[in-house]
Amino acid sequence: GKEKASQMLSDGTAFDHIVFAENLLSFMGLNRLEEGEEEQQNGGAVDGYLPQDAWQRVAQWSQCCFKTAPTFHYMMGSFHTEPPPPKQKVE
Amino acid sequence: TSQVLKGLENLTEEQVYQKTAEVLQYFLVRDQKKIPIRRADIMKHVVKDYRNIYPEIIKRTARTLDQVFGLKLVEIDTKNHTYILINKLEEPEGMTSSSGPANLKSGLLFVVLGLIFMKGGFVRENLIWNLLKKLHVDIGQKHNDFGDVKKLITEEFVRQRYLEYVKIPHTEPVEHEFCWGQRADVEVSKVKILELMAQLHKDRPESWSQQYKEAHSALSTSSQATSSSQR
Amino acid sequence: MSQQMDNSHRKFLQSMMTNGIVDEQRAAMLYQQCCDTYKTKCLPDKLNDFIDTINSKLQPLFMQIRKGWSEEDGQQHYALVNVAETDISRMSSDYADYELVLFRKTIELIVVSETGQASSTDILNSTDTMTTKKLKKSETEHLLNRLVRDKWLTEKRGEYSLSTRCVIEMEPYIRTMYQEQLKMCHICHNIAFQCQICENPTCCIKIHNPCVARYFKNKSEPRCPACDDFWPHEIPEIHQPLSQSK
Ligand SMILES: [Zn+2]
Ligand SMILES: [Zn+2]
Repeated sequence: GKEKASQMLSDGTAFDHIVFAENLLSFMGLNRLEEGEEEQQNGGAVDGYLPQDAWQRVAQWSQCCFKTAPTFHYMMGSFHTEPPPPKQKVE
Repeated sequence: TSQVLKGLENLTEEQVYQKTAEVLQYFLVRDQKKIPIRRADIMKHVVKDYRNIYPEIIKRTARTLDQVFGLKLVEIDTKNHTYILINKLEEPEGMTSSSGPANLKSGLLFVVLGLIFMKGGFVRENLIWNLLKKLHVDIGQKHNDFGDVKKLITEEFVRQRYLEYVKIPHTEPVEHEFCWGQRADVEVSKVKILELMAQLHKDRPESWSQQYKEAHSALSTSSQATSSSQR
Repeated sequence: MSQQMDNSHRKFLQSMMTNGIVDEQRAAMLYQQCCDTYKTKCLPDKLNDFIDTINSKLQPLFMQIRKGWSEEDGQQHYALVNVAETDISRMSSDYADYELVLFRKTIELIVVSETGQASSTDILNSTDTMTTKKLKKSETEHLLNRLVRDKWLTEKRGEYSLSTRCVIEMEPYIRTMYQEQLKMCHICHNIAFQCQICENPTCCIKIHNPCVARYFKNKSEPRCPACDDFWPHEIPEIHQPLSQSK
């Protein structure tokens, strides 16, 4: 693995994670702040606002990469059913 | 296998059928959390007195999972005997909306696995945290969608075997790096990841020649691995 | 002799696993999409046969796609349910034991209530009687949110009621546990949780809201179908299924 990584660098096809982040932010629908519109928070970590559904977009878009099996969820049978309180009437 | 045959002789078809149904139910229940299922646990909780015909039961379970649910039972770790379920049916184009909202965590998983793959298989922990910070996911803070992100990535994804979190030797203080876990190897398509990366960068998959080669060679080995359960 | 399953059945079943419950329109749409995807024949009036084929294979596996009606809008729904309680089914990990205890308390509060609802305050108070684990207020609220998100409860203005999914899957449990307290709808004869009740003290029949809407649709003056007294409640509109957006 390590050799492969260095091989790739010399290959000229290195993957730039900064570019990746930039493109992903655009895809997520980042509202970039106008210059001087707002003070940057936390020393420049925030350069705009992501919409509520930003990660939903990524998840939906990348779903085709995953062959994840759907899971079965249920309520009935997940706990011990105690017998109902005894009835008064006698047969 | 002669032992299996002998075991089968002493059981009715109905008993074997019933046991198979129980094992299948066990797989579906345990898959809820996506943590690989250990053979030892299947033995202890379900198979019990039927252990001598276990190979037959697991064969039938795999067949029913395939024929009824379109799922494939894969032994991801042949040494420790752990299994996962993967989907044999592709998500058809345009049908995604009808299968409900996508699992948000898979979006995060895509970013992390994608980065590792594109960087050649191993990525230092700090690089991932930096990337996520640029994406407004700060591991020091509780995230709206993901909660405790560091825990999710270093614990949950690791337990599920999407990721491996390994110490880098001779580092002081200790540093860690990530690589793909055994589940990711069979459940996640490198070819598709590369395609999406290309789409995102408005480029062609072939322009990352090493990754392209890797993705397309992995395609042939992974199909071998899953069909023979021998890696 | 039941039909064999093909990939369109499998994909439909997978969608049911993902969704848990779908209404009639959604089921019809899914059926169509699954058939289109795998190039199999799709006959619009054969959805039930299609589901029967799946059910014949699910039956030995303690699962079923079960049909039921929504109390809220009177629409037919399909839910994928578990039908047997076994040592294995109890290994489900979605909720911790103490969370399930609270869920059962909530069911009880709803079943014995007049309105088919339980307020968050009632539910919070009922945690005091729990012996398993004392739940904090915030924990209870978080759990209730999860139960709503997972479609086991519905919430309106702080009042919780049983979801359609819950009624469909849990009906056998509710019938076993609360046989004496259950109310039946005078029109459709199914269990009624949220309903209108005749105010004549010697009558007191119950009718689901959607059943009220349908029953009184063309009647000039609403009268109780059992005692003929004036029906004093507001007659709800018949719920029109939302036209599909695409
Ligand atoms: Zn009714
Ligand atoms: Zn009356």
